[in-house]
Amino acid sequence: MTLAHYLTLSGLLFLIGIFGALTRRNIIGILMSIELVFNAANINLAAFNHFRHPGGVAGQAVALFFITIAAAEVVVGLALVLAIYRNTDTVYVEEFSLLKG
Amino acid sequence: MSFEAIVFYSLAALVLLSAVGVVTHRNTVHSSLLLGLSLAGVAGIFASLGADFLFAGQVLIYVSGIAVLIMFVVMLLGRASDLHLRQVNNQWLAALLICCISAVGLWRIASSFRGLPSPGPAKPSTALLGRLMMGDYAVPFELISLVLLAALLGAIFFSHTEKDA
Repeated sequence: MTLAHYLTLSGLLFLIGIFGALTRRNIIGILMSIELVFNAANINLAAFNHFRHPGGVAGQAVALFFITIAAAEVVVGLALVLAIYRNTDTVYVEEFSLLKG
Repeated sequence: MSFEAIVFYSLAALVLLSAVGVVTHRNTVHSSLLLGLSLAGVAGIFASLGADFLFAGQVLIYVSGIAVLIMFVVMLLGRASDLHLRQVNNQWLAALLICCISAVGLWRIASSFRGLPSPGPAKPSTALLGRLMMGDYAVPFELISLVLLAALLGAIFFSHTEKDA
């Protein structure tokens, strides 16, 4: 296995996540797609750490920070989704038009 | 085909197929279950890269934390009528075009790293990671706990309901 294999895998995962974030109507679906994008970035960090810097762990440390940030992001995101759902009674993003007046 | 290649290709197939399921499935409950499967596959990829602590963190935080949390919210907000509604907006052709153009760029980047051989079996990295977190990365480590505290307070603030409202 070479670094190119892992980069191809993470690139495909990234593209699937971007496609989902652009096309899903459900806001929870968009959040799930963003999690896939985060994971693609983490695979890249771990792969570069393994292949370019075998003795070190700096890439893994940064990936660990990313996992923490993603956890914080999803907690705040889901709290916001719940608050929006309470106000608009829908989970579909085209219907979130409170600011239109 | 070597053992390493079999492990990599089966994990990659698991990750990619369940990720496609996440973005295309009409039922959001199924999509959140497939998200857990995809994240578990990514944990396996970490293990095959020798990142043992990342593997544990991925299983603990993503698979058993984030995926379960998303599942709870999906079940809290879901309705039976959602199954009959379209889950994809009408811009999917433009999104597919964006993905194809990005794929060309990503493929060029990935193929420039083709010749790099594997550096051999990786050593356990948890002790090194702990020393790094308490040494060079001590300030980011403390800052990240501040971020987590802010996220905790933000989640309480946004999901708080006034009694008289």
